[in-house]
Amino acid sequence: MAELVGIFAASHGPLIARDWARLPDPLKQRLSAAYGELGRRIAAAEVDVIVGLAPDHWTNFFLDNLPALCIGVGDEHGGPPEPFMRDFAPNPIPGDPALGQHILATALAADFEPALSYRLRLDHGMCLPLSRLALSRMPRIVPILINELEPPMLSYRRCLAWGRLLRQAIASHAAPVRVAILATGGLSHSIGEPTMGAIDEAFDRRSLDAFARGEEGPLVDLLEHGAAHAGNGAHEIRNWAVAHGAAGSRGFELIDYIPAPEVYVGCAFAAWR
Amino acid sequence: MRGMRDYWLSKLCFDLQDPARVAEYRGDRDAVLAHYPLKPEVRAAVVADDVGALARLTNPYLLRYYFAAAGMPDAEFITRLRASAPVDG
Repeated sequence: MAELVGIFAASHGPLIARDWARLPDPLKQRLSAAYGELGRRIAAAEVDVIVGLAPDHWTNFFLDNLPALCIGVGDEHGGPPEPFMRDFAPNPIPGDPALGQHILATALAADFEPALSYRLRLDHGMCLPLSRLALSRMPRIVPILINELEPPMLSYRRCLAWGRLLRQAIASHAAPVRVAILATGGLSHSIGEPTMGAIDEAFDRRSLDAFARGEEGPLVDLLEHGAAHAGNGAHEIRNWAVAHGAAGSRGFELIDYIPAPEVYVGCAFAAWR
Repeated sequence: MRGMRDYWLSKLCFDLQDPARVAEYRGDRDAVLAHYPLKPEVRAAVVADDVGALARLTNPYLLRYYFAAAGMPDAEFITRLRASAPVDG
């Protein structure tokens, strides 16, 4: 049977790639250390497959068709389309159709209604963290894209339920594979709004404290009422909430929190217990 | 609940994620705009680089893509956003 061997989260931001050469050295060192620590743990866990929880930045979906959640079941996925990610490898990115289809079937059997895709393009939201993990061998990826741009968006309570479902699906998958969950995105940031560039450090620290304490009720209350005021990018904390649900709402170890106005993002990195 | 998005403005912004389309747009804006049945007032706002007006009509991420494609530096984009009426996000 499959085994869930680790649950992790990391922020992303296009400027971490596009403007890397121009970022201050201390910031680059802290970001590299945080991504590197996650990469070290994922490598040590000998992960075969990463279930990647990521937003879509208008790469796959548009106002023509905007699913709340989409599971990538393809045997491969397209790499990032952004010019500043052109060096990402491997491209295409290997998938795991068996696990993707099993998650889909488990979800449908439990009255969840995901969309599916046989070929997603994975933008910087998924690929920037993957590239910065500096893994010597890229695991197969089962992407789960969670809409965090426009309604319809999952409620945070539903995110926790999705996480529990994900854990159940991985545990019941017949293949003997080692699976990690990697949530990407958040914390506070604001893109294309009058508050663009602002980071709500107080909200970020309250959120991290709520994740660390683990209790679902206070966490949901904080995120449902607070995230919408922490910039539109804070919607991506939904991915963290799914990971939290998958971890059984146990607390996590905060690897680092870096409020980084240079990249417009309150950057956080964590591993669940 | 935020207001309705302007579909064709949003489609223009979405399509301008493609570097080839960006080059075309910077070379001949009118030729590219001809492919999008924009309302006259929306087209006028596009031509005028009216950040505040367009911010009320499309998603903030798409708005940023648009002005990056149009060649507006982030600092100017942010200054114009802040000078405009508050918008949802």
